[in-house]
Amino acid sequence: MEKVKQKDLILYSGLIILGLAAPYLFSAFKVQLTYLCVLIVLAMTWNLQGGEMGYNTFGNILFYGLGMYLTASVQVGMFFPLAEWTESGGEKTFVHTTAQYFQGIGVGLLVAAIIPTIIAGAIGYAILGLRGHYFAICTLGLGIAAGEIAGGIEIIGAGQGFTTPPFPAEIVDAEARGKFFYFLSFALLIGTFVFVKYIYGSRFRLILNAIRDNEDKAEAMGIQTMKYKIVGWMCSAFFCGLAGGIMGGLIGYIDSTDVAFDGREMGVFMVLMAILGGKGTLWGPVIGATLFHFFKEGLWTLILGWQYVALGVLIVVIVVYFPEGLMGWLREKYPERFGEVIDEKDRKAQVELK
Amino acid sequence: MNKIAKLFVTFISAITLALVSFTSSFAKVEGEYIVLGSAISLTGKYSSNGVHTQNGYNMAVERINKMGGVEVQGKKYKFEIIYYDDESNPKRAAQLAERLIKQDGVHYMLGPYSSGLTKAIAPVTEKYKIPMVEANGASRSLFTKGYKYLFAVLSPANQYLEVAIDLAVEKNGGKGVKIAQAFEQDAFSQDVRLGILDAAKRTGSEIIIDDKLPKELNDMAATLAKVKAVKPDVLVVSGHTKGALTAIRQISEMKVDVPMLAMTHCDAAKLSKQHGKKSEFALCASQWHKNLSYKDKFFGSGKKYAKDFQKEFGYDPPYQSAESSAALLVFKDAFERANSFDRDAVRDALVDTEMQTFYGNIKFGPGGQNVAKPMILFQVRCKGDDCENRVVAPTKWASDKFYHPIPKWSERS
Repeated sequence: MEKVKQKDLILYSGLIILGLAAPYLFSAFKVQLTYLCVLIVLAMTWNLQGGEMGYNTFGNILFYGLGMYLTASVQVGMFFPLAEWTESGGEKTFVHTTAQYFQGIGVGLLVAAIIPTIIAGAIGYAILGLRGHYFAICTLGLGIAAGEIAGGIEIIGAGQGFTTPPFPAEIVDAEARGKFFYFLSFALLIGTFVFVKYIYGSRFRLILNAIRDNEDKAEAMGIQTMKYKIVGWMCSAFFCGLAGGIMGGLIGYIDSTDVAFDGREMGVFMVLMAILGGKGTLWGPVIGATLFHFFKEGLWTLILGWQYVALGVLIVVIVVYFPEGLMGWLREKYPERFGEVIDEKDRKAQVELK
Repeated sequence: MNKIAKLFVTFISAITLALVSFTSSFAKVEGEYIVLGSAISLTGKYSSNGVHTQNGYNMAVERINKMGGVEVQGKKYKFEIIYYDDESNPKRAAQLAERLIKQDGVHYMLGPYSSGLTKAIAPVTEKYKIPMVEANGASRSLFTKGYKYLFAVLSPANQYLEVAIDLAVEKNGGKGVKIAQAFEQDAFSQDVRLGILDAAKRTGSEIIIDDKLPKELNDMAATLAKVKAVKPDVLVVSGHTKGALTAIRQISEMKVDVPMLAMTHCDAAKLSKQHGKKSEFALCASQWHKNLSYKDKFFGSGKKYAKDFQKEFGYDPPYQSAESSAALLVFKDAFERANSFDRDAVRDALVDTEMQTFYGNIKFGPGGQNVAKPMILFQVRCKGDDCENRVVAPTKWASDKFYHPIPKWSERS
């Protein structure tokens, strides 16, 4: 046992060092690495619902988008009149000083974490009574509705979009912005991972699994499933909100349906990545997101115009050949490496029976 | 667990290797090529206009290269463009701009299609001090941000249909008119709306319907039902290609009678071909028309450009293609005047641009917008089943008289 832990320690410290060194090693890829961190966070949090709890949500994009708008609004609203900033498509320009920029984004991210969490609680209370497909369809509507509503609210730019404050001009180093957002997202990634890992070792996960496997039985066992479902969703909302806030600052321009409540891309990607890696596992979403991001960045430009066809093929391949994801496939192939004990005789007997 | 750990480490190191080997270095100028970068919408909701833009760029690259290329310090260079597909998504566009600059080493950018995407890319090019000549981002707010490296060969979006309102007022004997309007929820169309609001205020006109249309635009029946009920003097619709097509389709289906119908993107939507007589009398704002009398030595006149374009791509060039071609002429001119590949020298040369192209005169204002070229209005007119776009304003280039009011559907054959 001790030995395994030591190995884990080496793995984790290795990864952290790699993560810290990455923006210097691959300076040109900082933005993509930031995207990767955010994608992993989204996949991991989706996995809490979709993988562990068995509730396939398309609604996490709601918290991501909310976080994005909230961070930007707070960052602007703390120092300047928000309505004037967004009026007429953002014609007026106010300039944040360096201190204002960082204070703004700090407070903004705080708000972007708290408010989506509260909203997740409220919405969860209302709709987590739905199960299976009904829940999935309902959450699908949430993201779409949010996009359309945001597109009509003048104070956050409506259809014109919302240009987030530019990185302070006093910082001359052109690399500083990329580094700032990378480390912010990397910190978020570590936070999310530590949190999810903690959940994986806790009773909370067992309860979520019980809900997934048989909700009625879980209830009969005396578990207040509703309470746990809501708390689980609030946890995801917390990290999704932060992820959205960081992305808003990085992209620099928020559009209601294409950037913030981007269910068509981000909303689908987070599900796809978790399933690709293997839902219901700790490392699955991480590996899934990484693979997906590399596939997307590496190959998509080679097949200009056909990338969505390739994505469709990828989905089909995943669903047909790796229904349990990469981790599930590995687990089936090398069960002993996952700590599962196999009775060889029994296995052979079964094979012979077939 | 430790085996998984090993697996993971192998995986990570494989990726690391891949990344390192990926860091290829294109240079801004490679051998005899000047490499330009552009993120273009080849898929998604702007894909048709994205392709118009790309065709415009390609046509100009080919023409300039064939006619001797760009001469800098006595050496001839050719243009080359690296394209990525931004999927009509601002998030992707911003990321690709970063990629073009940081990974592909591009030092000069061409714009994407649409204001929203340009808004997403401009902060990136600005940050890295990369001159960008863009031909399809017309939103007024692009030119008030103090961007120093952004140059647009087109007129700002709010100017698109202002003239149409003036025309309507003139036909109404100088009195204000009743305006019904419906605009897509995107940066460009909303800017056109701002222009109408200004014009309405100026002329004392009243806006009686002010609707927003969704981005995936394929139905505006609700707006049209209202229009039927309240009978405005002018109906204004803007929503890129899909907006123009949807409007004509549903106006003719629902037999909506309005004295004047003003739109954008009629030529990009090939309205006169796709809807024929149904689209007759629609008034359209355009950055360019082939009948204008501008000239340059690469494409000759607008008519010649249209003919060559037709031969190459099989359709009449919409203004999106023409302005995109013009962007390359601007770059060529700037490189030759700067006589250097230094980004700031090229940028300074761009500031001093003052030239005529087949597309129009180009001179950049302090915000980077083109101030030397007016917008034009054309009207779809038909002879038998053959429909054509005829310029009706400004009077200098008008080939036809503005037909007003539009006859009722019951009187149209």
